[in-house]
Amino acid sequence: MQYKDYYKIMGLSRDANKDEIKRAYRKLARKYHPDVSKEKDAEAKFKELGEAYEVLKDPEKRAAYDQLGAHWKAGQDFRPPPNWNEGFEFKGGGFTSGDSGAFSDFFEQLFGRAGFSAAERGQYGFHARGQDSHAKIYIDLEDSFHGATRNISLSTPEMTAQGQVQVKHRSLNIKIPKGIKAGQHIRLAGQGSPGAGSGQSGDLFLEIAFNNHPLYRVLETDVYLDLPVAPWEAVLGAKVKVPTPEGIVDLKIPANSRQGSKLRLTGRGLPARVPGDFYVVLQIALPPADTEKAKAIYQKMQQELAFNPRQALGVYQQ
Amino acid sequence: MNSRDLLLVHIGTVIEEDSLTLGQLCRACDVHADWIISLVEEGIIEPQGEDIRLWRFSGASLVRARIALRIQRDLGVNLAGIALVLDLIEELEGLRAHMKTLGHV
Repeated sequence: MQYKDYYKIMGLSRDANKDEIKRAYRKLARKYHPDVSKEKDAEAKFKELGEAYEVLKDPEKRAAYDQLGAHWKAGQDFRPPPNWNEGFEFKGGGFTSGDSGAFSDFFEQLFGRAGFSAAERGQYGFHARGQDSHAKIYIDLEDSFHGATRNISLSTPEMTAQGQVQVKHRSLNIKIPKGIKAGQHIRLAGQGSPGAGSGQSGDLFLEIAFNNHPLYRVLETDVYLDLPVAPWEAVLGAKVKVPTPEGIVDLKIPANSRQGSKLRLTGRGLPARVPGDFYVVLQIALPPADTEKAKAIYQKMQQELAFNPRQALGVYQQ
Repeated sequence: MNSRDLLLVHIGTVIEEDSLTLGQLCRACDVHADWIISLVEEGIIEPQGEDIRLWRFSGASLVRARIALRIQRDLGVNLAGIALVLDLIEELEGLRAHMKTLGHV
């Protein structure tokens, strides 16, 4: 088990007062809150912060933690000294910062496991409906185009009969309906937490997100593809083959197309209730001048075309 | 897990624009109806239907309500602050999505 330096996590000195602790927590919580932050490891950092705050804001826990002494280094292998918490009385529970199941072994060794609200409820003698659970699942774009059956794994913290929090893993086969888009939910009745007594189980809500695709980008129900074209295809017009999630189609590129021009294939986006569109974004690719012949063609263009790409900048060639 | 579970395929319901009742949204967020009603009053989520008994919420409302709950609990932000945070998050996500269509990932 590794020692955790709660003061270091919160960027505080060991004599920080209550207000400083609260200020530091608020500041770091805004920085690392998983809903707001795009920092790497935001979720892990936020959990660590919640744990540190849980100890330092509570005078009893803080005093007990300080008792361990200041000579420990973060990450150092840690065994609590015998009777280290003698004379300290912890008012059990009182966790404000979310799932105590997420706290570290270090925390649990010092302060024990906290009450687990969802499971606690189940210990009373009444019948209650189980809690709804939530999970985000990542599917491939093709799954939405064709519909699919996917196996997903879920981990749920649960309270055992001995009152210990255990992470339970289970896997489910899920039908992915055709046309589903990112941000939409699938509700599976009765797949949430079990109810208490003869109460019904809760529901499971799955939020859909798409894996990054090597070719396509998705915005709502519209699908985008970058299509490389040769300069002469863009300028003279051409008929080219284009991949779409539903197979290859022939696309006519109009003459005088420009870099970044968007061509729309109506109704070929996600097959939602209102189907989206498929957009082809033209990317003009330059042929390399790696042979004498290619070089000669570029030189000929240079000599024979009066082309100034910087005209709009007001810069003229000599 | 037995072999029956391996073969069993769960078919869920897709939550469309107007499929969650007030009761279902409360259960999904594990909160009292009063709190959801205060979100509606603040304009943080907008149900379809005039009468509270006819209110229907979208999947997007579920996402917003759950973020609101976490922000309130973790950061101590009041409802007006939550509304502002959610709008800014959505604007940011819109900009990120727009950048994605331009190919800047």
